[in-house]
Amino acid sequence: MSPIDTSIGPDRARELFRAELADVRTDAELQALRMRWVGRKGSWVAAFMEALATATPEQKKAFGRGANELKNEVEAAITEREAALAATRQPANAVDITLPGRRPAFGHRHPLSLIRDEVGAIFTRLGYQVLEGPEIEDDYHNFEALNMPEEHPARDMQDTLYLAEPLRIGAGQPLTLLRTHTSAMQIRHMEQHAPPVRLVAIGPVYRKDNLDLTHTPMFHQVEGLVVGKGVTLADLKGTLAAMAEALFGTGIGIRFRPSFFPYTEPSAEVDIQCIKCKGSGCSMCKRTGWIEILGSGMVHPAVFEAVGYDPNEVTGFAFGMGVERVALLKWGAEDIRLFYENDLRFLEQFGL
Amino acid sequence: MKVLLSWIREFVDVPEPAEDIGKLLSVRGLALEGLESHGDDVVMDFDVTANRPDCLSMIGIAREIATAYNRPLTVPAAPPLTIGASVAVTIEAPELCPRYAGAVADVTVGPSPQWLQDRLTACGIRSISNVVDITNYVLLELGQPMHAFDLAKLGGGAIVVRRAKSGESITTLDGKVRSLTPEMLVIADASRAQAIGGVMGGADSEVSAVTKRIVFEAAYFKPSSVRATSKALGLKTDASTRFERGMDVTAPARAMARACQLLEQIGAGKASGTIQDVYPAPQPAASLVLERARLPGLLGMDVPDANVERILRSLGFTVAPHTGGPYGDGHPSDGWTVTTPSWRVDIKRQVDLIEEVGRHHGFEHLPSTFPGVQQAPASSDPRIVRDRRVRNALLGMGFSEAITFAFVEAIAAEPFLAGDSPVALANPLSEKFAVMRPSLLPGLIDAVSHNRRHGRRDVQLFEIGTRFSPRAETRGVGFAWTGLATADHWSGARREVDFFDLKGVVEQLAAVSLVTLTFVAADVPYLVKGRSAAIAVNGSTIGVCGLLDSGVGDRRDLPSGDAVYVGELNLDALTAAAPAETLRATPLPRYPWVVRDLSMLVDDTLSAGTVRGTIRSAAPVTLSEVREFDRYQGTGIPDGKISLSFRLTFQSPERTLTDEEVQAGMQHIIDALTRDLAATQR
Repeated sequence: MSPIDTSIGPDRARELFRAELADVRTDAELQALRMRWVGRKGSWVAAFMEALATATPEQKKAFGRGANELKNEVEAAITEREAALAATRQPANAVDITLPGRRPAFGHRHPLSLIRDEVGAIFTRLGYQVLEGPEIEDDYHNFEALNMPEEHPARDMQDTLYLAEPLRIGAGQPLTLLRTHTSAMQIRHMEQHAPPVRLVAIGPVYRKDNLDLTHTPMFHQVEGLVVGKGVTLADLKGTLAAMAEALFGTGIGIRFRPSFFPYTEPSAEVDIQCIKCKGSGCSMCKRTGWIEILGSGMVHPAVFEAVGYDPNEVTGFAFGMGVERVALLKWGAEDIRLFYENDLRFLEQFGL
Repeated sequence: MKVLLSWIREFVDVPEPAEDIGKLLSVRGLALEGLESHGDDVVMDFDVTANRPDCLSMIGIAREIATAYNRPLTVPAAPPLTIGASVAVTIEAPELCPRYAGAVADVTVGPSPQWLQDRLTACGIRSISNVVDITNYVLLELGQPMHAFDLAKLGGGAIVVRRAKSGESITTLDGKVRSLTPEMLVIADASRAQAIGGVMGGADSEVSAVTKRIVFEAAYFKPSSVRATSKALGLKTDASTRFERGMDVTAPARAMARACQLLEQIGAGKASGTIQDVYPAPQPAASLVLERARLPGLLGMDVPDANVERILRSLGFTVAPHTGGPYGDGHPSDGWTVTTPSWRVDIKRQVDLIEEVGRHHGFEHLPSTFPGVQQAPASSDPRIVRDRRVRNALLGMGFSEAITFAFVEAIAAEPFLAGDSPVALANPLSEKFAVMRPSLLPGLIDAVSHNRRHGRRDVQLFEIGTRFSPRAETRGVGFAWTGLATADHWSGARREVDFFDLKGVVEQLAAVSLVTLTFVAADVPYLVKGRSAAIAVNGSTIGVCGLLDSGVGDRRDLPSGDAVYVGELNLDALTAAAPAETLRATPLPRYPWVVRDLSMLVDDTLSAGTVRGTIRSAAPVTLSEVREFDRYQGTGIPDGKISLSFRLTFQSPERTLTDEEVQAGMQHIIDALTRDLAATQR
């Protein structure tokens, strides 16, 4: 900081002032600057005024105006800077808003639960009721009423887990097994209700499958059933196409492949267009462009007869889909066992 | 079913590449599982569904291809054999074996020609000798399982088809001794079983290098009998797989003729030219009516008549116009009378015919339509809405949702059985999945343990699911909490979860369910006594909450020293107690409330609940809320005493309370506490 020296003249002094003002960062510095330049005693402006008092008329004329201009500029600049500093100043009770917030706790939905809800919502929108049912079943509801009598080879298609001791809960047959599909629930519903029927049954089912990348001995199924006058296979196709688009995205097509299930005739396995390559063929769909997603068909007349419906009066369609399979496809997970480990690092990927 | 493209092409002119054939067949009902080249040839592996045993053969697959491509099928025809003296065959159990054919041949046993060996190998069958290879060749080509006996080894030179005698046994071709029961069918000679009918031949009469005369067997065995026998013996063979699904009862004669033809063709021997064919009750061909209107009625697409007839005829059905319908004779045909070929054992009803027409017309032609709605949809299972409410509440309290297997290890279930026997599985996948869970907690404890062992300090998990007892399935919610109660934050002190965090969770679940719960000290084997509570509604216990017993935790590999708080509620019982149906809105109070604080010194053996109970019973009706806001023991408080502070809120729906009446109420409460609980006001 240069000592006060009026001999340099007001113009040079003004340059000095501007340089010093540029360095000011705080209120305190600004106050010091104010004292040094416009303080009543010992400031630059005071010194110029004193010098002016003893100056010759020529000198007065020469820098009298300059001194006054200096004074005005200094005062104006300081006031302006004062306002600017005030504008950036933190209020007295300010907090550091860059520190992390205190987050109220929330948990994460299980991915299978998300899919269950999503599928339930899709079918609720399509006018279906959503049902759940018992997980321990009798042979009749799980097999026989579904056109799989004792000794039927199709029973081998679903390796069944049996109870060590049959249970007697309520009326009806002794309960001997863990349901292998939610189709058992369809039978229970049709036994109690006359057609038309429009339902989806959702819940866990059990099969004696070893744990591997794509199998678990318990998994979840969504089973759909529509019964009424004039229900057709084309209705099934439209319904499943709508579901596939709702679940996997607009434009995802489906195709039917004829297949066999004892409880439907005709039967079809349903593929969706590969969600990765959109049908052009990739490793995920084994270069076929299609991925199997569910089994379906027109309810077999023997099933209607078992529940007292007249197969000449009504027709119906049914489909069964694995929730885990949908979850694996939708989120590109590669190991179904992750769904049952309940590792929070996995669950926390799925929001709420 | 592995088929060889060159073999297929003997029966149908299909020059298309195997990939294309596979693609088309996959949308016609035969999914292509694999494709591999075999020299110049291609092996196509088709997934044949359980209802189509006729497709477990070259001719069966060729017929599907011919229909799919609309090309003619050439069936291999061998000169038929004459019925005549051959080998004596007696069927003693026609209910298990409706047809049995035998034919004698002189043979020179040796290796098969290379082309025959190659075909078998390509289809996954090991070449054994020319005679045995012929039986397998016919099996693959026509689907009919066959067997060859060394005639010299058959005692009495005769064949008796009968049930096994109790205690009878046989050494089968695989060298194993099999004990038989009278439910099983055997092919015997005069004295003993020489084969298990439809399953496997016996070692004693096996064709060997020195065999000179053989008997070929081609028979029809009852599917359920073969299935039961195969299952009982744990013995699955190419033959049993076919017989148990149902073979063509007319095939044995054709198969026999083909086998004899091949025998001479490859120079393996000379057949006698006659066949002993025992078929006492021939089955008539089945016919069905296919109503025209049913096709679009079930499929939702129209199939031109010409296509209906073309498809059915190509598949081997005979088709004639049906005129005996509802309009009577003389009216235009309303459909077709369709006669089923003997190999199509799966065709039993009209719908089966509709499927045949539909799949070969092509499901790709199905339009996308929606079923009509005739009435308003019924409501969904009320548990879904209830579970969602509980789930949302727990998610909002920081618990993540778990889904665990409903079967657990027996030892993990044991502390939770509450006197019930476990619901055990007869054939569990492993000991880890031996019994159905009596509680949601074993699964949750394992999940907590998994997370802790994977470096996670703070774990909050819940599960909504079914619990199993011999009396009922009930839906419950379980929750587990270990680690910090408050999230780590730069601003404050950390606090570990304690009993009251968990109790608060239960209280909030009660609040969202609109029920009032009561808590009493619990004594259950999996919770620490003095840190656990039984939860009751309207006097009946519906759950527990508290600190997990460390022994239980140790057995599930929880890190030692972990304090894990767990709880479980019976949701069905919770719902039953909720007043959802009778819920009525209460108008908001129009008069101000009055708050008074009260601090009392009481014996430290007294529970807050007891003190609160005394306050409530002594209070005027205007006391609307009692809340503990401080509990203090230590400096300034005599030994054996605690200071409990309550905030009491008085309010009347009818008027503004006066200071005097509130004061009188307070005095009444203080008097009761002093008198009944020896409390003193601080």
